[in-house]
Amino acid sequence: MSEHLAQPDLRRPGDHPGTGADDVTVNRSGRSIAWQQWRRLLRHREVFLLGVLLPLLVFIFFVGYPIVYTIILSFSRWDGFSNIVTYVGLDNYRRLIADQDFWTALSNTVKWTVSSLVFTNVLAFLLAAILRSGYVYVAPLIRLCFFLPVTMSLVAIGLMFSFILTPAFGAVSIVAQVFGVSEPDLLGNPGLVLWTLIGVFGWSYIGIPLLLFDAGLTQIPEELYEAARLEGASGFQQMMLVTLPMLRPIFMVVTVLGVLEALRAFDLVLVMTRGGPGHASDTLGYFMWIQSFDERRFGYGAAISVVMLALSSVFALIYIRRAGRDALGGGG
Amino acid sequence: MTRWAAAVDRGMRRRIRIGRVAATAAMALLALAFAYPAFLTVITSLKSQEAVLDDPLGLPRQILTEAYATTWQVLVFGRLLLNSSLYAAAGAGIALLLAIYPAYAFSRFRFLGARTIFILLLTTQMLPQETALIPLYDTLTRLGLLNTRAGLILIHAAWGMPLQILLLTGFLTNQPRELEDSARIDGATDRQTLRYIVLPLALPAMAVGFLLNFVGIWKEFIFAITFLNSEALYPLTTGILKFTNSQFFTSFTLPAAAVVISQLPLILLFLVTYRWLTRGIYAGAVK
Repeated sequence: MSEHLAQPDLRRPGDHPGTGADDVTVNRSGRSIAWQQWRRLLRHREVFLLGVLLPLLVFIFFVGYPIVYTIILSFSRWDGFSNIVTYVGLDNYRRLIADQDFWTALSNTVKWTVSSLVFTNVLAFLLAAILRSGYVYVAPLIRLCFFLPVTMSLVAIGLMFSFILTPAFGAVSIVAQVFGVSEPDLLGNPGLVLWTLIGVFGWSYIGIPLLLFDAGLTQIPEELYEAARLEGASGFQQMMLVTLPMLRPIFMVVTVLGVLEALRAFDLVLVMTRGGPGHASDTLGYFMWIQSFDERRFGYGAAISVVMLALSSVFALIYIRRAGRDALGGGG
Repeated sequence: MTRWAAAVDRGMRRRIRIGRVAATAAMALLALAFAYPAFLTVITSLKSQEAVLDDPLGLPRQILTEAYATTWQVLVFGRLLLNSSLYAAAGAGIALLLAIYPAYAFSRFRFLGARTIFILLLTTQMLPQETALIPLYDTLTRLGLLNTRAGLILIHAAWGMPLQILLLTGFLTNQPRELEDSARIDGATDRQTLRYIVLPLALPAMAVGFLLNFVGIWKEFIFAITFLNSEALYPLTTGILKFTNSQFFTSFTLPAAAVVISQLPLILLFLVTYRWLTRGIYAGAVK
């Protein structure tokens, strides 16, 4: 599902090397051990070709090269049809800085990302904690309710909310009457539209952090709470002193996952508003797509992609560094 | 226990029970409000357009399936369903096949650079698809695969492979290997070991990976809208877009019906495989 950033579980791939004959035991310098390990891998030719070389080639062809090429393209002009790619230096970036629409899209993406943290790190956590507290009778069923949108495509979710929120449908005005306020134009008002989209995004996404927190909560040993209670800790103190510290890794994962998901926001914008009214709900993903595939300014679109790449790399790096720390000692 | 203590105990228990009922009620209310838009969509799809305009939130007085029949026809729904199933099954299937040997290599062999390669592969999932979109578009054009089923499946498979490698590697790393060792001592090749010993035991993990990838491709939008432009090839996601092209809906029942039938297959699949799916998401994100 869109989804998932994963943290490598490279739990010491070498802890259980294959059979005796090929095993490398520590008896020479580190370098020669590495050499022997590689020779062993190369002897298992099929494993080397299909298990290491092939996935690398697939990665390079479909992910690595495209990203590098995007960076190169961001210094060029290209209409997407012809073979003429003109090098234009920093022109695209200069135009980007001068482009009011880019700044709107960037600030919208930042707002989207930051406020989605409210859904992922606050609401989802509270829901998970309450549902796991043992005070709610049909918790699994309720959890299922919140998780259901995760299986829906964002296109369908966008379509659903766009007709529900359209003034002509009438649902919004009925709800507004109940609360005694005038009817807000949730998709037509430039000041509101982005927040509407962010709300829909939260609706669609909250199931994932909820699930992760829930799984994390079940793994906290009960003894910790017992010990805290013996020391006279109140429920609130138990939450602050046991639950939150124990869930730190989950908060990290949830934050990075949520941020990366929010940074690429595209589907809902295209389906629900097409960036409108005006450019009020443009996001970087949508702006990039329109510039490239609608306006056919591929160099300019590539420059926007590079900005997205830079933003997500920051968060991806946090993740990778943690992965590196968790993964094995030697071996690579 | 004295009578007095028992009375206090009973009081406490009652109070706890009241607390539970209150908490349950509050959460249930919240969940209902949360699920309400989906419910509203279902009831809207079963009404007539006049009934919707008359009373948008009311239950249908009579159940009409007209919107479904029209939606099915207008969108050529059978084709959308078939395309989506094909892309998801083929994409996730190829990705799974591609993931078997890497998972075996990463869980059974130790070599310099293993972690680097592994993490490199996983960056696929961390980067927005937007950043690779233009070159992929160019590549597909050059290969003559733009606007073809094969092209889209290829890209889905390549982008799905890392998640499946991750899940399968995680599973294999925790598997006991006595059987494999003895098979190898008996002279089994890597392929035989994989085929007869490793994979049969890894079937549940492979199913989780496939399922997660399948759902992901089924929901995927940006690749489909960028690389396909003939309606005959559209999957559900780009197919139902037809109903959003105007910001002002002429009908509410049609989009509602489109949402319901396009999501129903996956929601059913999800209800059947809830446990596996959630376990897979957790393993993919945290483990």
